[in-house]
Amino acid sequence: MGRLRIGSVVALVAVLLAACAAPTPTPAPPAATPTVAPAAPPTPTPAPKVGSPYKIGFIASITGPGASLGIPERNVAQMVQEQLKAQGGIVGPDGVRHEVQILIFDDESKNDTAASVARRLIEQEGVVVLVAGTLSGPSLAMVPIATEAKVPMISMASARAIIEDPETKKMREWIFKPVPENLHSAQMQADYLKAVGITKVCHLYENTAYGQDTFASAQAVFPQAGIEIVYGDAFERTATEFPQVEKVKASGCQAVVIGSIPPASALVNVAVRDALPEIRIVHGHGSCSPDLVKNAGAAAEGTVMPCGKILVADQLPDTDPVKQLNLDFVKAYQDFTKGEPISTFAGHAYDALQWAIAALKTLPDGLSLAEQRAKVREALEGLRNLPGTHGIFNLSPDDHLGFNYTDFVMVVVKDGKFQLLPRDQWK
Amino acid sequence: MVRGWRWGERAWTKEGAWRGGVALAALGMLALLVLLGRRHGFGAPEYLQFLLDGLRGGSIYALVALGFVLVYRVTGVINFAQGAFVMLGPMLTASFYERGWPPTPGLRLALAALLSIGIVAGIGVAVERWALYPARRASPLTRIIITVGVYLILEGAALLLWGPYAKVIPSFTTLSLADPTLRFGALRIKAQSLWIWGALGVSLLALALFFGRTTLGKAMRACAVNRLAAQLMGIRVDAMSTLAFGLAAALGAMAGIVLGPATRPTYEMGLELGLKGFVAAIMGGLVSFPGAVLGGLLLGALENLWAGVTVAGFKDLFAFIILILVLLIHPQGFAGSEAEVERA
Repeated sequence: MGRLRIGSVVALVAVLLAACAAPTPTPAPPAATPTVAPAAPPTPTPAPKVGSPYKIGFIASITGPGASLGIPERNVAQMVQEQLKAQGGIVGPDGVRHEVQILIFDDESKNDTAASVARRLIEQEGVVVLVAGTLSGPSLAMVPIATEAKVPMISMASARAIIEDPETKKMREWIFKPVPENLHSAQMQADYLKAVGITKVCHLYENTAYGQDTFASAQAVFPQAGIEIVYGDAFERTATEFPQVEKVKASGCQAVVIGSIPPASALVNVAVRDALPEIRIVHGHGSCSPDLVKNAGAAAEGTVMPCGKILVADQLPDTDPVKQLNLDFVKAYQDFTKGEPISTFAGHAYDALQWAIAALKTLPDGLSLAEQRAKVREALEGLRNLPGTHGIFNLSPDDHLGFNYTDFVMVVVKDGKFQLLPRDQWK
Repeated sequence: MVRGWRWGERAWTKEGAWRGGVALAALGMLALLVLLGRRHGFGAPEYLQFLLDGLRGGSIYALVALGFVLVYRVTGVINFAQGAFVMLGPMLTASFYERGWPPTPGLRLALAALLSIGIVAGIGVAVERWALYPARRASPLTRIIITVGVYLILEGAALLLWGPYAKVIPSFTTLSLADPTLRFGALRIKAQSLWIWGALGVSLLALALFFGRTTLGKAMRACAVNRLAAQLMGIRVDAMSTLAFGLAAALGAMAGIVLGPATRPTYEMGLELGLKGFVAAIMGGLVSFPGAVLGGLLLGALENLWAGVTVAGFKDLFAFIILILVLLIHPQGFAGSEAEVERA
């Protein structure tokens, strides 16, 4: 444990140093290549033309409260950078090869740090696209900066407001994210509850932006499916007593939906299971983590939740269009990190980087930085049928997420493990 | 015993009127609780359940409050670093327990807990020596701000050391994740609650014996009554301050450890528990040990009853409304002289 921690601190320092040091030598290669290319006849095979390198600015919460999400994301960025290097960069539509540099930075889980790092990457490093924001707060703090500078940004956080202006209900022109929302989670939960014949539910949610959003989503979705929320209440993440349980008992609901993240979701799970041994417990996708089982133990048995496919990739049917992609990613990730457990957050980072790379591949050589940025934005809006760790994404000018909620899978905890629960087994 | 609940002599001398007011307010609150509870169809078992659960949390607040009172009486400082001690106890215990040595889980947990309490007591001593002793001539306000700084440092260090992840301490009874539930009809009591109540009882007894029977304890009391006189009698008041911090830190660590299995300790758990313990101490008048315990139990019970019948999301709000009310009607909690308490 201690050694691991020291190791990660050292690694972190190393990454930060590397990230800070990397940009300096970059101006050299583009100056050298044009002189080499015309005078190249002696080379036996016609080597592909080499264009200027592209820079992706990657900002995650590597330290601070968001670190449990940000560290896997950072690992993915390092892994993808290595893969790109091994492939020798990417090739544009005109056959010109470009090196891709991923500049990794830490926002310390802080909004103001995120904003200043984003500004620095845009103005001083000249990144073409930002893959930025582990948490919703820092992501939202970077939105106006990216928008103003006209730089496409792909967030790894979940809040709807990141890609959609809450007032005008319009997509934010420059912002994208491959991360499903509580609304999708609630839609999946509603499908499940309806299928198993439940009409009255209780909803307990943690008193945070995330928890309140799960409740708002349930309120928006459940009634349409004929499911009534007979009792909804919040709890503090630090709570140790849950008087809400008595009200759950008194309300006569048939299932309890918990909108929270471990360990808080695990504690509520235990309290509910304790008072009501028979009641059905449904979590949100925030609980799709081994931490749920670690913290709730036997009380988590039999609870169900919608999760990203990456969590149960090996159990997916072979016909699933993203099974192989997920298996490959999980294997590559575990090889790269020497056996770190996979998390859905790693998946979000992978999807975000794949989007950025797919868009960069559409760039012809010889564009100015502003043109490159604008073209990447257009390309992102045009991504169709793009497989990712969480499903098939279909983006458009009206949808900068492009996720279909049926790409979530329902998962049940059995013998302390997450097990796929296909629709035909909902009962 | 609950002297803290009285108006200050200068402000109000009609003791009877005050007591009547308190009784009336209590009755009104009870009526409100019953009225609100009827909406959910709650009967005696539900209220009793709220009360029991509340007394569990309340016992933790009481233990934390004892630490506040201990330090305040001897040094005149409100030690906001107390919450950090409450967090460090279980975090250290869980870390030691995870190491897997010795192999007997029961022994390992006991050793881990004792070692953690010892370390945290050492940290308490170090805090007094290095952060507060150099500022002993500064105003109380300055020293209180120093303790806030110490809290932030300790919390930051914990985040650096353990990261944001939650730790797991096994149930004391089963030494596994599952804590057994004792059922008495419709009532449920977690086995860990018994450990928590036991810890509170043992601490109270130990404190009573320490202050009542030992020379060191009596010397500490003398410091609380009159620092100068104590010094003239040959008592080393600085050493007493250090000891008070060490003891308070140990109490806080123990509170956190017995609470550990009922929650999942994280680096940030200290703030809320520290503040609630502070509210409890203020309710008890800040200088009385029985007052602090009563304050803690009362706060825990009322808070949980309130959360049970109204919207639970506002649970913390209730504690801080109490804090404001007590500070408004009984500000003497801050300025009351120690001598006054000793007379009581």
